Amino acid sequence: MSSQSILVVGGGFSGISAALEAAEVGHEVFIVEKTAFLGGRVAQLNKYFPKLCPPSCGLEIQFQRIRNNKLVKVFTLAEVVGISGSAGNYQVKIRIKPRHVNPGSADLSGLAASLSKDLPNDFDFGLGSRKALHMDMPFAFPNRYVLDKDACSPEDLKKLGACEVVNLDDADKEITLDVGAVVLATGWKPYDVTKLTNLGAGNIPNCITNMQMERLAAAFGPTKGAIVRPSDGAAPKSVAFVQCAGSRDENHLNYCSYICCMASLKQAAYVRERHPEARITIFYIDLRTPGRYDNFAKKILSDPKIKIVKGKVAAAVEDPGTGNVVLTVENAVSGLKSDETFELAVLATGMQPSLAGEKLPFDVAVDEMGFVIGGDEKGIHAAGCAKIPLDVMKSAQSATGAALKAIQTVIGR
Amino acid sequence: MEKAVRIQPDLQFVKDLQEVGGEALKRCYQCATCSVVCPISPAENPYPRKEMVWAQWGLKDRLVNDIDIWLCHNCGTCSDMCPRGAKPGDLLSALRNMAYRNLVEPVAIGKWMSSSSYLPILAGIPALLYLFIWIIRASQLGSFFPLFTWDEHAHAFVTDPNGVVVYGGLFPGDFTIDPIFGLVALLVAFVFFRGVVKLFKSFETLPKTFVVAGAPKPTWIEAVKGVILDEVATHVKWKKCGYSTAADEQKFKGHFILFYGFIALAIVTSIVAVSHWGGKVVSFIAPLGHTPMELWNPVKVLANVGALMLLYGLTQLTKRRLNQDPTKQGSSFYDWYLLGVIWFIALTGIFAELLRLANVPVLAYPIYYFHLICVFMLFAYLPWSKLGHLVYRTAALVYARRLGRVAVEPKEIKIFKL
Repeated sequence: MSSQSILVVGGGFSGISAALEAAEVGHEVFIVEKTAFLGGRVAQLNKYFPKLCPPSCGLEIQFQRIRNNKLVKVFTLAEVVGISGSAGNYQVKIRIKPRHVNPGSADLSGLAASLSKDLPNDFDFGLGSRKALHMDMPFAFPNRYVLDKDACSPEDLKKLGACEVVNLDDADKEITLDVGAVVLATGWKPYDVTKLTNLGAGNIPNCITNMQMERLAAAFGPTKGAIVRPSDGAAPKSVAFVQCAGSRDENHLNYCSYICCMASLKQAAYVRERHPEARITIFYIDLRTPGRYDNFAKKILSDPKIKIVKGKVAAAVEDPGTGNVVLTVENAVSGLKSDETFELAVLATGMQPSLAGEKLPFDVAVDEMGFVIGGDEKGIHAAGCAKIPLDVMKSAQSATGAALKAIQTVIGR
Repeated sequence: MEKAVRIQPDLQFVKDLQEVGGEALKRCYQCATCSVVCPISPAENPYPRKEMVWAQWGLKDRLVNDIDIWLCHNCGTCSDMCPRGAKPGDLLSALRNMAYRNLVEPVAIGKWMSSSSYLPILAGIPALLYLFIWIIRASQLGSFFPLFTWDEHAHAFVTDPNGVVVYGGLFPGDFTIDPIFGLVALLVAFVFFRGVVKLFKSFETLPKTFVVAGAPKPTWIEAVKGVILDEVATHVKWKKCGYSTAADEQKFKGHFILFYGFIALAIVTSIVAVSHWGGKVVSFIAPLGHTPMELWNPVKVLANVGALMLLYGLTQLTKRRLNQDPTKQGSSFYDWYLLGVIWFIALTGIFAELLRLANVPVLAYPIYYFHLICVFMLFAYLPWSKLGHLVYRTAALVYARRLGRVAVEPKEIKIFKL
């Protein structure tokens, strides 16, 4: 029995877009999202290209479309654990982890704040802390708290047990979905900074990653949008951007992540806006400003306080007294190798496909870096950064394409 | 505006470079990781990024006059960290190989030394020479594998069917070894002199000094002393190059022990030569150089220790080369020729000694013959071999020290001024 339904793996911008495209022409769509909330990497940004909107802007529209469309069914804290069948007729086994919070949009912020334990906030890439009961963003979808039960102290559990919307007995569930096609929108993860041993391996407090910078700049981030040094909370007077931190590098990510140059230019603008006195230096191999982004780059680079230096930073160490970051770089134009000190350094780490190093339940081909390169013949269509590093706009376009292919797969039977 | 300079790329040069081991250089995209991670590259115009772009562009004149190829000690950090697998370390090795090949005349020897296909010529020259001597001596002595006893009366070795293997009996040093190797040594010294003059001339395109104003400029003597004592004797740069992996350790220990093994053998050779030839004038020192020596003789002990040091050093260096990650670093014919020849010298030398002691003439003499061929192949072609770095690198390091082109520890932290 063939199915007209479509499974979308991943609830980031690509996954949401693909799901809506298919649902709005009448297909039942299941979104399976690993984390507790939809929105993916975009939700973690302060602003995103091309219009430099805050993430709430685009995502809230998408969430509204999901709410208004009964054909879109969302499973969060869910993962695909097995698949059988063939194109047009797949049975997909999904495991759903317990949320421990009942449906509804109850405001549990008071209860959350009263919990004793502070946990590292992985949504903020470890920059801030959160409670075991949390909601990662104010515009979250579903607008429903999630409880990390294993991280609670006995007293906290007692307190939580008394709350009627908290369900401590919630347990793992497994369901099977019948679908005709699959869209893989598994997205990307920031490249593991601990592998960049010559750039401090994440051990220098004031040498942060570009995604951490987004969280610092975000209004609902760990500093409420203040771009300050993690070590002492001081406003940085000098900021360096280290491009290709692990990208275009055989030893790390052997490709260009497309958007990091633009991200650094954008972040340079964040810094200039918040700290008008700060001087900024961007160290790059080639400044890649694809298509119309070049106009944005020109605008940013016309700022006399933003300087670009051709030369890849090959060493970053901490100046122990000040917490400053000392970068060693050869300016390939002047031919001078020098140590340059900055109060804050941002590593422009690239996008690694989420599937890199993961065992896929799907039988689709991935390249040596983990990007999906096959599956179309099986009715499994990749979208967005699962396929290639992209910006948000191009991810959405790619999602539309994948949705069309998925529709062709289910209708063509 | 400055006068436009027309760049004359030399494509053949690029091909030659790729042939001598610089084949990956086209992958470089000039990110400058290499010059930054190099622990001994100077701050001003550091290497090897600039060499990579010069090589890509075929700027032969820049590269053949570049002192920096001699400052590199080939630790491979640049190639390890290179994001493109462009192997900048191999390029600098290739440029040094090119210098061995082309720096001094006759360039025919340079060509022979550049590829394994010419090995028959290289080995054939000493092989024929000593075969010729062997045949003549065999006709004089009545045997290809003669045995000898020491005739006190004649003060010479005389053939005796019940005697022992004496290499000096078949190949008398005074007539067949010392004149040939003495002549070779003189020629090699002359060639090296010309090579160093040429090298220094090529460095004249460099800035006159890299010394920061006010800092004292070392004299030539200070520079020589500095290089010999601070660098060559201690191998300090080798440790600076990185001393963290097994390969680093193999490289440092291997070269260090091999180097001092050669020093030990050079001392032995000098004692024998000086006392032998000097003994003809000042007769009482003559016995000191009388060979074959007893095994307990301190000079012989030093010789044997030297041989064992060669074996240890060779083992370490060969292990390192065999375990290299080919995507990061390669080994050229120059590397293997040198290692191979020293291996043969050490092994034939040790076996020649053992077979002499065991008194097996049919094996001992051929092995000794091979030993002579290998020693000739090491020393006669020295200025065109990788071992030429002994002179060229030392000379370049002295020149660099005098110029002040040295890696300086960062004294102050600079801040960009906008």
